[in-house]
Amino acid sequence: KMLRSLRGLVCHPQKLDHRYALHTAAKDCLSSLVKQDVQTPAEGPRAVFYTSENDPANHAEHHEGRHYTIPLEEVKAVFPHGLPHRFQQQIKTFNEACLMVRKPALELFAYLKKSNFAHPAVRYVIYGEKGTGKTMTLCHVVHYCSRQGWLVLHIPDAHLWVKNCRELLQSSYNKDRLDQPLQASFWLKNFKTSNERFLKEIKTQRKYVWGKRDSTEEGRPLGEVVEQGLARVRNASDAVGVVLKEIKQQCHLGFFRLLVAVDGVNALWGRTTLKKEDKSPVSPEELTLVYNLRKMMRNDWSGGAVVTTLSQTGSLFKPRSAYLPQELLGKEGFDVLDPFIPILVSNYSAAEFESCYQYYRHCRWLQHPRGQ
Amino acid sequence: MAAPSAAGLARRLRAWLPRLTPVRWSRYGPSYLEPDVSKELYQKPLEELSEEEKEKLKLRAVHPIKAAPPSVSTSVFSDPMISKFTNMMMKNGNKVLARSLMSQTLEAIKRKQLEKYHKAPEGEKETIECNPYVIFHQALKNCQPIIGLSSITRGGKTYQVPVPLNDSRKRFLAMKWLITECRENKHRRTLMPEKLSQELLQAFNNEGPIIKKKHVLHKMAEANRAYAHFRWW
Repeated sequence: KMLRSLRGLVCHPQKLDHRYALHTAAKDCLSSLVKQDVQTPAEGPRAVFYTSENDPANHAEHHEGRHYTIPLEEVKAVFPHGLPHRFQQQIKTFNEACLMVRKPALELFAYLKKSNFAHPAVRYVIYGEKGTGKTMTLCHVVHYCSRQGWLVLHIPDAHLWVKNCRELLQSSYNKDRLDQPLQASFWLKNFKTSNERFLKEIKTQRKYVWGKRDSTEEGRPLGEVVEQGLARVRNASDAVGVVLKEIKQQCHLGFFRLLVAVDGVNALWGRTTLKKEDKSPVSPEELTLVYNLRKMMRNDWSGGAVVTTLSQTGSLFKPRSAYLPQELLGKEGFDVLDPFIPILVSNYSAAEFESCYQYYRHCRWLQHPRGQ
Repeated sequence: MAAPSAAGLARRLRAWLPRLTPVRWSRYGPSYLEPDVSKELYQKPLEELSEEEKEKLKLRAVHPIKAAPPSVSTSVFSDPMISKFTNMMMKNGNKVLARSLMSQTLEAIKRKQLEKYHKAPEGEKETIECNPYVIFHQALKNCQPIIGLSSITRGGKTYQVPVPLNDSRKRFLAMKWLITECRENKHRRTLMPEKLSQELLQAFNNEGPIIKKKHVLHKMAEANRAYAHFRWW
């Protein structure tokens, strides 16, 4: 589980430490926080923090605070790009992916199970302080939906699309907009790995012309559009737009359920750090990827759900203490997303902390003798 | 501490050689005691203390005590060797960076060892050492030379004379070699924690360039045995 969540519980972080080192120092500081009278249960050492229920659909309240494993092949198939970097390192070190079942995720599952898919898509916004587990909750939901057989549109971090972009091409489709070939092709590649079977089933409903010689006929599987985007990198952003449009149009027919999972949704309505060639700043509407994604965020389609996360970590021009939706989304974003269901994710409770601590002890992550 | 007070000496020196006074000696008098940083002694209730500990506490109550330097802490995780190493790694007084590099190194060592541990079959799991502090201490111990060389000039020629080293000098040499090795012989893009963790793991297994350097030094000392009698201390 994310080490960052422990940061909130560390009483007086060593002020000398750089932020990165604090995450590692947090592992050492655990001993100062564990109460002396905590008893480890004698029976079944894994009983407290582990559950063998690997299907998120069956997770109930009595599983709260327990870790469940995701088999490694499934991790590669479902999360080609979704997991945070620290969690990926943890998977590599422990050779297993263990996720903790927490209340916000269970709440979301209850809502998703009871939602009526004939109505317009409901939007959920997961918010909370820094390092409390919003991204991990999102990943849990994505895993649940992919197990249920939904089509998952997972954008790992929308902030990556509005900053640090080396190549900006002028879009051929619309003169005002700018393309981002690298980010678009990277996302298309990962989308292909996670949703193979849907790409064969969904058919295009219109003819798309990519250039003088390339075009996609009506009725071809969506996989061809994705191939086109990957082969011709210049058209990658347009390919992404086409994919999103097709999926949105066909979703209400009921053949599949759609989950739009966006991490860092506040990037879509803020400012960007990108500049055009004449050094004038780029606003998010001018980016094709952001423009198309905003269309998905509106609730004018039915047959699925939109689960988003706010994130201050990658956000641009926002103060570090901001975590509420009003602050991070800005007026524009809030108006677009309104009405939405907010879900607060807070730091570990005492029981969850205990469970996490037991897990780390089991995996031998706590090596210092005084840390145990 | 055992020296006469600095003020007295400064006065005498001032009398003897006016305008040549700066003396960088300790400002503490002889009665000052070193600070004792361990929490365990002070947390015990009065009855549990043994006779010597009671004596010690009474002594400390009467004498003045020197101020504790900021690098010493009561935390259970502070280690004098690690702090010394961090200070040596520090450049331009950037302790924050040095300390973060150190913790990243320890974490990298732990990750590598844990990966090996979790992938190893049941029989080998016991042999893999995962505690980065243990690895650090053992690696430093393996890198310490037993005997050193010092240049002594006799009759116009300088000879490299084998000479015994004291503990602090050995520790210093081991840490110095480790740091210079990591700074010089690495690819431009590798980061310091990664390279350091690699070197420490190699030294822990008694292989790698620093151990080789130590062996080269030992061989030189063995080769120059004949000059050992040049040493007068």
